[in-house]
Amino acid sequence: MNLVFTVMILASLIMLVVVAPESAFSIMIGGANNALTLAFTLIAIYAIWLSILSLMDGIGLNKALNKLFRPLTKRLFKGESDIALEYITLNFSANLLGMGGAATPLGIKAMECMQDGSNKATDNMILFMVINSTSIQLIPATIIGLRASAGSNAPSDIILPSLLATLISTVTGVILAKLCALFTHKKDKAESVEPRKPLFAVVKARKKI
Amino acid sequence: MSKYILPVFILLVIVVAFIKKVPIYDNFVKGSKESLSIVLSIFPYICAVLIAVELFSLSGLNAYFAKIMSPILTFLGIPEELCELLIIRPLSGNGSLAILEDIYKTHGADAYISRCASVIVGASETVFYVGTVYFSTTKVKKLRYAIPISLVSCYIGAIMACVLCKFI
Repeated sequence: MNLVFTVMILASLIMLVVVAPESAFSIMIGGANNALTLAFTLIAIYAIWLSILSLMDGIGLNKALNKLFRPLTKRLFKGESDIALEYITLNFSANLLGMGGAATPLGIKAMECMQDGSNKATDNMILFMVINSTSIQLIPATIIGLRASAGSNAPSDIILPSLLATLISTVTGVILAKLCALFTHKKDKAESVEPRKPLFAVVKARKKI
Repeated sequence: MSKYILPVFILLVIVVAFIKKVPIYDNFVKGSKESLSIVLSIFPYICAVLIAVELFSLSGLNAYFAKIMSPILTFLGIPEELCELLIIRPLSGNGSLAILEDIYKTHGADAYISRCASVIVGASETVFYVGTVYFSTTKVKKLRYAIPISLVSCYIGAIMACVLCKFI
């Protein structure tokens, strides 16, 4: 990220110094200002969702989700400890609800539990990151919120296409990750042979919800 | 149909909470409080990245980039108006939200372009951010095949988004 950030800022600034040196500083302030505006929007959206999330916890819905995902997470993340699986499940649940902010701390804890002490990411850690990168939201609440405030007539008509696109990208990600795990560890094939079975479970789990 | 999902879901949660005597007001206070602290902790990231994103897009570098990319993207069925979004999407979630709002402003929130953009953002994540933040407290330095696979999966999702929005 540091490299990407540095390249972006350097290249842009060089271009600005050549083209429009007087605007460089005001553009940077503009960027910070955008961040401030966005932060306020996000506070509002997160306030609603965190409230609902904590209500869901209160009525036992999170526990039910936990139970629902356990067979899936156990199969997808073979050989992980119970605590790791629990964080993974909670992270997935938060992701399903579009609570990126709530999912992030859970994801960090899951990664901590999964590390094997070396400086290389394990296959399970990568699989976890890939699933998180492809987003597994049920309801893209942030975007629906933004669309509503932009004056859309039907802000939530993107739920269905989003769900399908997400499903496709996540399944692709899981297959690719499992394949890579297979190719990088040809020796212990038995450990990561079954990408198919858990994928089927993904679809089943979604239907239940 | 899908416009009922969100409000009915929220309604159900609140009704069940009421029946189970879960304090609704207290939970909303708690949720709002947590929201403040979460946004406070991610604000430095938003701010730094949005400064870079603003520089990237207003310096004209982004338009240059999008020009190079657009033949490839249109070949894959992605409208060229979405090039900027696709470039920023893996870099900054909040940056892409800002671009998304921009797309809403220029094209109207219900246009095909805006719906595509919404689905693209909704069906992908900030790959580089996830990569940095999630591994931040572990000893892991080498992410191996994590980033390439995440990126490929996200872009496949984006292509699907543009196809799906034509039909749904």
